[in-house]
Amino acid sequence: MTQPLLTIRNVRKNFGSVKAIDGIDLDIHENEFFALLGASGSGKTTLLRMLAGFELPDDGEVILDGKDVSQVPPNHRPVNLMFQSYALFPNMSVARNIAYGLEMEKLPKAEIRSRVDEILEVIQLSHLANRKPDQLSGGQRQRVALARALVKRPRLLLLDEPLGALDKKLRGEMQLELKRIQNEFGITFIIVTHDQEEALVMADRVAILKDGRLLQSGTPQEIYEHPESRFAADFIGVMNFFPVTQESGHLRAQDGSTITANTPLESAARGVAAVRPERLHIGGNDRDNSISGTVSAIAYHGLDLQVHLKTPASPDPVLIRLTADVAERAPIGVGDSLTVHWAAKDTRVFAV
Amino acid sequence: MHWRIAPQIQARRMIDRKPLYLMTPALAWLTAFMVAPCLMILALAFFQRGIYGGIDYTFTLENIALVFDPLYANIFLKSAFIAGLSATIAVVIGYAAAFAITAAPAKRQAMLLFFAVLPFWSNYLVRTYAWIVMLNREGLIAGAAQWLGYDGELPKMLYTETAVVIGLVYNYLPFVILACYAPLSRLNPEIAEASRDLGGNGWTTFRRVILPMTVPGIATGFVFVFVLSIGNFVTPALLGGGQFQMIGNLVYAQFLTANDWPFGAALSMFLIAIMMGLLTLQTYASERASGARREE
Amino acid sequence: MRSIANPRLMLMILSAVFAFLYIPISVLFALSFNEGGLPTAWTGFSVKWYGALFRNSDIMGAALNTLVVAVISTALATILGTLLAVGVEIRRRKGRFLETIIFAPMIIPDIVLAIALLSFFSLLNVTLGLHTVILSHVVFNLAFVCSVVRSRLKTFDWSVVEASTDLGAPMVVTLWRVVLPVMMPAVIAGALLAFTLSLDEFIIAFFTAGAGRDSITLPMQIFAMIRFGVTPEINALAAIVMTLSVVILALSQRLNRGGLPGQ
Repeated sequence: MTQPLLTIRNVRKNFGSVKAIDGIDLDIHENEFFALLGASGSGKTTLLRMLAGFELPDDGEVILDGKDVSQVPPNHRPVNLMFQSYALFPNMSVARNIAYGLEMEKLPKAEIRSRVDEILEVIQLSHLANRKPDQLSGGQRQRVALARALVKRPRLLLLDEPLGALDKKLRGEMQLELKRIQNEFGITFIIVTHDQEEALVMADRVAILKDGRLLQSGTPQEIYEHPESRFAADFIGVMNFFPVTQESGHLRAQDGSTITANTPLESAARGVAAVRPERLHIGGNDRDNSISGTVSAIAYHGLDLQVHLKTPASPDPVLIRLTADVAERAPIGVGDSLTVHWAAKDTRVFAV
Repeated sequence: MHWRIAPQIQARRMIDRKPLYLMTPALAWLTAFMVAPCLMILALAFFQRGIYGGIDYTFTLENIALVFDPLYANIFLKSAFIAGLSATIAVVIGYAAAFAITAAPAKRQAMLLFFAVLPFWSNYLVRTYAWIVMLNREGLIAGAAQWLGYDGELPKMLYTETAVVIGLVYNYLPFVILACYAPLSRLNPEIAEASRDLGGNGWTTFRRVILPMTVPGIATGFVFVFVLSIGNFVTPALLGGGQFQMIGNLVYAQFLTANDWPFGAALSMFLIAIMMGLLTLQTYASERASGARREE
Repeated sequence: MRSIANPRLMLMILSAVFAFLYIPISVLFALSFNEGGLPTAWTGFSVKWYGALFRNSDIMGAALNTLVVAVISTALATILGTLLAVGVEIRRRKGRFLETIIFAPMIIPDIVLAIALLSFFSLLNVTLGLHTVILSHVVFNLAFVCSVVRSRLKTFDWSVVEASTDLGAPMVVTLWRVVLPVMMPAVIAGALLAFTLSLDEFIIAFFTAGAGRDSITLPMQIFAMIRFGVTPEINALAAIVMTLSVVILALSQRLNRGGLPGQ
């Protein structure tokens, strides 16, 4: 394996008595699209700002291209940040905003102009080059902010909640756009987001942060299919949880039924078993991993149908996702009794 | 939460890690030419007046006591009466005007407000002088009465208390309109509609819902007019024609004619005390009103 | 409020209030062009009172004094007030004491500040004159400049400072190319406000200018003219002074869409 582009080693940062970053280790590779995912207060933004140079770590190292940059000021790092508020200079036109960073590098005027023109093409805003930021729509501003950071061709581009201010539809379009641009430029992107769906759609790898610590990192698929903690399982996608007790190697749910899993519950008597809604199938198999209950609600989502099942096995309603054709073959109504089952390989168990 | 506000503060502090340096010149100026003189006045109030004017640096409470002398206490009461009357009238007219402006179509409100405030931007003396022209015996009102065929004796208008009140109301009305417009325009129109929907008629809606929520504006307007009126000496001097004295004129006289600075200082102390008391009341009123809003 | 307002009543209120506000001012303007100069009879249009005004050396002298006071005190107040505003907004902790000191010059009754300064200068044996008026005017002018600039900085997105640094700019460049241009409209608006306040200020000037004829400012001259013998020239003077303040303040308002303090 080649040397990682960026290595974060045992980094810590306190604000007063608050441990914003509590010892994080992470490797990020050349040309990766990496997502830092977490709720507010998880430390993701602090970590990002540390990479940009706006926060200095109290302890640990930030190594970029083999050099420790953790004490280098932001204006001397080959790293650029796209701000959550975009932070466009309100007094400058789109073109001047984009040229600003290149002017700081004291590049020849002709080169600045050609690079600005080129990036304006990429973000499809050439016709608005002379507009001021307050004359642009939210989506256009977002693209200018991206271009302004990208035009410097940084080793690492940091994006702080880049799509947070956009409406839902635009967000979907921009997710694909960002991926296209990242591909085209071959620059490593690190994005901070609290939106798990966004992270799954865009990133090659995702790191989940909680209370200043790294919970888990991996590809979206790894994290979705093999969450290592209850928090990760709950945070990414939708998950059904069944409280279980372990008796002589068997997991027993609250309603007395037996749950089986490929991985056992380690060294604890109590835990939760977790199953994704799309892994539940209608019908009993008269054996393990079978839950019965009453349908309490049905939500229609176009492609699929989400059925809420009230069952003694779980304090919360169990969510079942049925594709439209399955639902059509066996119509279900609120109040019906229903049994569902799943395979042992789809059970995840966590200690509590 | 601590770590979420940190970035903004960090950004500000990057400009200058010691913002005190930026503030020093201005703060030094204010200390030298405002704080020090005001403290001096405070001290002055407790010294004796020298025999030939000037100051005798002996501690005394005479000046403070003199403020409560019936002669001066009456002037205080009279000033407070004139100021209170002016403030009340200004608030009634100003509130009505602000209400009428908020009832206008949204796109016309900015223009109406602009023209309501415009006179406030012009010279105070000139605005006061305009009323001399209006109220004069050969002035516009007299002329208009004559033109309308009234040839009896008109009551004296200029150099009366009424003239002073008119002048004060006129000068400070734009501010009151502004102060009342602010909370009125922030009101959610749906609140008035909700009250109507629940069966309140227009007047009830106004009295029970809109008025209580706009108390801060009324309080600000009232306090502003009252404070500026009670210490005013220009308007009484010009429109009252020196016929009667207000505190402002009294202070003026102590410093420029009677030459009793310690007493003048004591008088201004009371002026400040009244002002601070009213400002506290006003803050209290706004806090109560915003508390009421939160409860709703 | 439209849902509970009676449109006819609202129109009546507005008409009455605007009549009250504008009739006296309009009368002054009309009068300044009245040949006879008296409010009772219109004797024909004339600009002769404006001519007389410019030939009156007392008035012209006072106007010049006012201009000197306004220009110098505005320049000083703009620098001090802007630095103060930036300093206060950068500061992390907002001190109540500090806020009071900055706010005080705007609310302290003129007469109190005036006599305080008069006593202060006299006891320090400072000769009174235009210079003491300037020193005094800076006090309230800097507070107003500071307040205008602060209201601008409150809506300022400080992350542009970081953005500039992130793009490679040293702090001096950031201040010059990003912070100052963003603040500039507010600084100019504040300066214009200070300038008119200084032009129109009477009470403090009256107390701190001393007794000499050569330190009389225009408002002092106007006061004297109103008090001791009204000549028709004053209508012309009033019209000019009023127009000047309104024009400058409208300009200031336009520059600083955030509004003037108190609004």
